[in-house]
Amino acid sequence: MKHVLIIGSGLSGLSCAIELAENGVKSTLVSPYPSERAQSVMAAGGINAALGDDDSPQQHAADTLKSGGDIAGPKAVAGLCEEAPHIVRRLEELGVVFSREKSGQIALRAFGGQSRSRTAYAGASTGKQIMTALIREARKHECEGLITRCLGRQFHSALIKDGKCYGAILYNDKTRKMETIYADAVVIATGGQNVLFGKTTGSTQCDGYTAAKLYEQGARLKNLEFIQYHPTTVETPQKRMLISEAARGDGGKLYYMDGDRKVYFMEDLYGERGNLMPRDIVARCIYDAPSQVYLDISFLGKKQIKTRLLEVAEVCQKYAGIDVYKESIPVYPSVHFFMGGLAVDRNHKTSIDNLYAAGECASMYHGANRLGGNSLLSAIYSAKVTAASICGLPRQEERPDFSEYISEQEKILAERLASKSKFSAVYIRHEVAKLMNDCLGITRTEEKLTEGIRGIDYFISISDKLVYDADVSPYIGYSLRPMLILARAILTSALERKESRGAHIREDYPERRDEYATCSVSEYRNGEYHISYVKEDDQ
Amino acid sequence: MIVRIKRQSAPGEEAYWQSFTYDGPRHVTVSAVLDAINYTDDLFDTDGNEATRIRWECSCMQSMCGGCAMVINGVPALACATFADEVKGEELVLEPLSKFPVVADLIVDRDVIYENLNSAKTYLDSLIKNRKHQHEQQYSTAKCLKCGLCLEVCPNYHPGGDFFGAVLANESYLIASQSEDKRHRIIKEYKEHFSAGCSKALSCRSVCPAGIETITSIIRMNRK
Repeated sequence: MKHVLIIGSGLSGLSCAIELAENGVKSTLVSPYPSERAQSVMAAGGINAALGDDDSPQQHAADTLKSGGDIAGPKAVAGLCEEAPHIVRRLEELGVVFSREKSGQIALRAFGGQSRSRTAYAGASTGKQIMTALIREARKHECEGLITRCLGRQFHSALIKDGKCYGAILYNDKTRKMETIYADAVVIATGGQNVLFGKTTGSTQCDGYTAAKLYEQGARLKNLEFIQYHPTTVETPQKRMLISEAARGDGGKLYYMDGDRKVYFMEDLYGERGNLMPRDIVARCIYDAPSQVYLDISFLGKKQIKTRLLEVAEVCQKYAGIDVYKESIPVYPSVHFFMGGLAVDRNHKTSIDNLYAAGECASMYHGANRLGGNSLLSAIYSAKVTAASICGLPRQEERPDFSEYISEQEKILAERLASKSKFSAVYIRHEVAKLMNDCLGITRTEEKLTEGIRGIDYFISISDKLVYDADVSPYIGYSLRPMLILARAILTSALERKESRGAHIREDYPERRDEYATCSVSEYRNGEYHISYVKEDDQ
Repeated sequence: MIVRIKRQSAPGEEAYWQSFTYDGPRHVTVSAVLDAINYTDDLFDTDGNEATRIRWECSCMQSMCGGCAMVINGVPALACATFADEVKGEELVLEPLSKFPVVADLIVDRDVIYENLNSAKTYLDSLIKNRKHQHEQQYSTAKCLKCGLCLEVCPNYHPGGDFFGAVLANESYLIASQSEDKRHRIIKEYKEHFSAGCSKALSCRSVCPAGIETITSIIRMNRK
């Protein structure tokens, strides 16, 4: 029987395992922690699907393409939007506790950048509610023996020979040893690159390492320069926490104070639906506002907040001491989502045969700026496409001998574990995060990007000369260099795109330019970063 | 502030106590305190002995994932949801959850939660749609983090026993309220692995970081 190795057990990895199981294909689902710890549980606002009478998949696709700065692939996006209603219906069958209208229909809320109310939701914890249902569904297949959970493991590297992937090496934190798993196909579903930017709205587990290592091993990356700043996060002693777009979708208003006067600048600039412009535009407007911007939902009333935005109220009260029933929330744009990631074709195959990528770690559908409500959707859809592609693959009957590579990696790990150094690779992670936030902010310039590249090049030059503390985990040490290479690739992609489009705003090139109306593809060859431009549907 | 931590270098190794001084701001979460203590390459305990960095688990840092469950000044809680200036006592005392095997320091192996849910076959086959009166409780129970705090605090839960605790009560309720064909079997599992062992101490209610009304799940399951 065919066997698939899935790295990552969040929404995409889980969905892929379930789809494969439904087709009688066995999978091993690898993650450091159970699915309940995945970033997917943090998704708040909802999942898009053209379910309303006034809506259509074509309209959903048009909004997605427009919001994405017209560089996403129309064929890929059409597939996503046509499947969306079926995905939501399937989630309903699996028992997701969606919020409902009095009629019993799944309720839909307005979201940014969308011409219709098409975001199905479950209060303000949609990701968690979906994950609970899918974890339960996966359990059924675990009991049947079609899904095997493999917890406590971190990805180390892929087993690749002549452009084809045969499995992966994992690091087991309990035994402090490496393990090798061979498979007919490998799926990467490891989320975004948050840790490169320090504490973002998402999980500290999403560090971009897997995509980074695969890039080092020859896989292509795409659209790295497009990093979504969510317009509304609240500052807490812990980190900046997300205030879901649902707060504005349900009527919340942004304003700043001019003396005693509240200036509802988004409505002044864009009219009645100003608060629900796409995220790139709202984030830029907040960034440009002359004083602190606030989000007011207090006027919605207790009943509406409690039934539709309870989690927003709880986060503000607990971590920031703000009573949203009475007070406005001071908000800041913060790094939230990565439109870029592993380059995949429309079957979600990477540039390496038998190696697939799904969810946020894969770059597809979102172009230069993702629509709110499309991340949960694309996480599930991309997993479905991946599973369908893998089902059509033949079994890998023979595999090359990787024993030399594996023993070499084991030797390096043994040296790391024997380290008596007290120097933590986390220090460099922190310095990189400062640099990345400074040079890849909401607006960028050639000067800052070049400065960032110099800084990262310095860290790359010293990263292999240092010996790291292995007490916490050797993973932190071995993941560092590929993460630095990924950071360098992001900066290079941002430097090369000499225009402003979606979430990539260049102060020195403020206009959109036709010659860049494509996706950037980055390749790492012999220590050099090569950028080319392609149309998404042509990949 | 003194932070006293029950430590263990690896599974099966002997546990020991070690104290550290924390001089940072007080209105921060316990996870921020742990981050601050670890962020030095000259980590010494209060006796001046060199110490290894403290190991603990985290992901979301905002009480949505359950990763950082531990015992804080005697109370099972999430480190990211507990503020250092709000705990009782002069010291901050951190221990791993005692009902799960320790992996290292404050990290425990909670696989047993999943093993129990798998053995009770807690999954759905077909759904009964639109049971409006159940919506609120279904939404609430679906927020279970599987963090293990309810098991830690429960006087009836013991590792390896037949009683699976509040996790099973809530999971059973969700399935029974959504499913027709699995209903009778899940009620049987509930009776065997929950109601037969629950002494109604209800300590699980006060520690649940998701605020799940487990008692409602119990009442509704007991009526079935």
